Amino acid sequence: MTLDWSVVWQHRDALAQGTATTFLLTVATMAIAVPCGIVVAVLRLYGWSPLRSLATAYVELFRNLPLILVVYWAFYVLPILTGLGLSPLATGLAALSLNVTAYNAETFRAGINSIRRGQVEAAMALGMTRLQALRRVVVPQALRRVLPVLASTWVSLFKDTSLVSVIAVTELAYVSMQIRAQTFRVLEMLTAMAALYWLLGYPQAKIVDWIQRRWSVTE
Amino acid sequence: MNFDFGVIADNGRFLGYGVGITVVLSLVSGLTSLVLGLVVALARLYGPRGLRSLIVLYVDSMRAIPVLVVLVWTFFALPIVAGVTMSPFAAALIGLTVHLAAYAAEIVRAGIESVRPGQTRAALALGMSRAQILRRIVLPQAIVRMLPAFGSLLSVTIKDTAIASVIAVPELMRQSETVAGQSFQPIEVFTFAMLLYFLMLYPVTRGVDRVYRRVAHLGRS
Repeated sequence: MTLDWSVVWQHRDALAQGTATTFLLTVATMAIAVPCGIVVAVLRLYGWSPLRSLATAYVELFRNLPLILVVYWAFYVLPILTGLGLSPLATGLAALSLNVTAYNAETFRAGINSIRRGQVEAAMALGMTRLQALRRVVVPQALRRVLPVLASTWVSLFKDTSLVSVIAVTELAYVSMQIRAQTFRVLEMLTAMAALYWLLGYPQAKIVDWIQRRWSVTE
Repeated sequence: MNFDFGVIADNGRFLGYGVGITVVLSLVSGLTSLVLGLVVALARLYGPRGLRSLIVLYVDSMRAIPVLVVLVWTFFALPIVAGVTMSPFAAALIGLTVHLAAYAAEIVRAGIESVRPGQTRAALALGMSRAQILRRIVLPQAIVRMLPAFGSLLSVTIKDTAIASVIAVPELMRQSETVAGQSFQPIEVFTFAMLLYFLMLYPVTRGVDRVYRRVAHLGRS
């Protein structure tokens, strides 16, 4: 078995671009999924009852589907539903956002629910409106509890971006597998891909551990 | 747009075979990763120091590398290194086990550590050996507390088997792709696949909640 690791260095530009796309997807998905998750969570908790069941159905559905299937589904169904010719990147972003929004909604709902009702009641007894109580009392405490969960969702999302490679989004996994197919350097390229993901993901996992130690709430 | 769900009926057996493979792969890899996870967790808690840091590295690495990458590497690169050929199913089983065992190990460790150390000390004072304490005092309480986490791990396992489609394991995702490609009716086929996956996953999520509520009192101390 002769190995030729120079193939990795020769394709460094493509790999760097794939890495950039992976990060772009992660950041963009989170930027969409956090506000949308808050909206869905608030709808589930305080919404008009048909909207509430709709939000619940959405969260339950997407939490119980494999992401790779959602990606394929978005690829074939979104262009027909919307009538737009979406790029693979936009389709991948849509699929990831649909998935992560459902998880985030559940995170925010749990965060808000974890603040005891007595606190809202006390705030209202002091003359605050419900909205004021939510904004000044509940949300600041809920955010603190939600942050560690969001951090681990971030790491899962970073890994899950590899799944949009099946619809030819040129992120790290897709780029590496393309180079493998062109050069037939299977072992080298696949190992390089794993090593790159490891190098990028390992520090993130460690930061998550740190955030969880730092912000964990004990009652 | 008009939809024709006849394509589902025409390929019923083909898709049904996919469901079978998904179920078998989920159950088998769920079980193997549980066993490996238990061994890894015990080695991390009670093993020698060198082994412990090696296990921490393994667990954290699996948290950093995507399943897709693990599966593709196991199927395409491992045979080159090891010099053996593997069926896609075997590669998926190995890849999923190695990946999920890291998560299982963390669940087991958290469960064991959640049993207060005072109980272990009390048992030691009564003259029990370490192995006895683990078997009679710690594990019976810890296992109940681990149940909800294992439930969500099982649903993660079922979802991850869908990724095995990229290494051509003929499970539901792969079979759906094939039918969608042959019939040119991806919307009908993938929507039906969504329904099937939901029907498999939702009872797991709900069932575990129910079982846990029944047995939760056994884990209290």
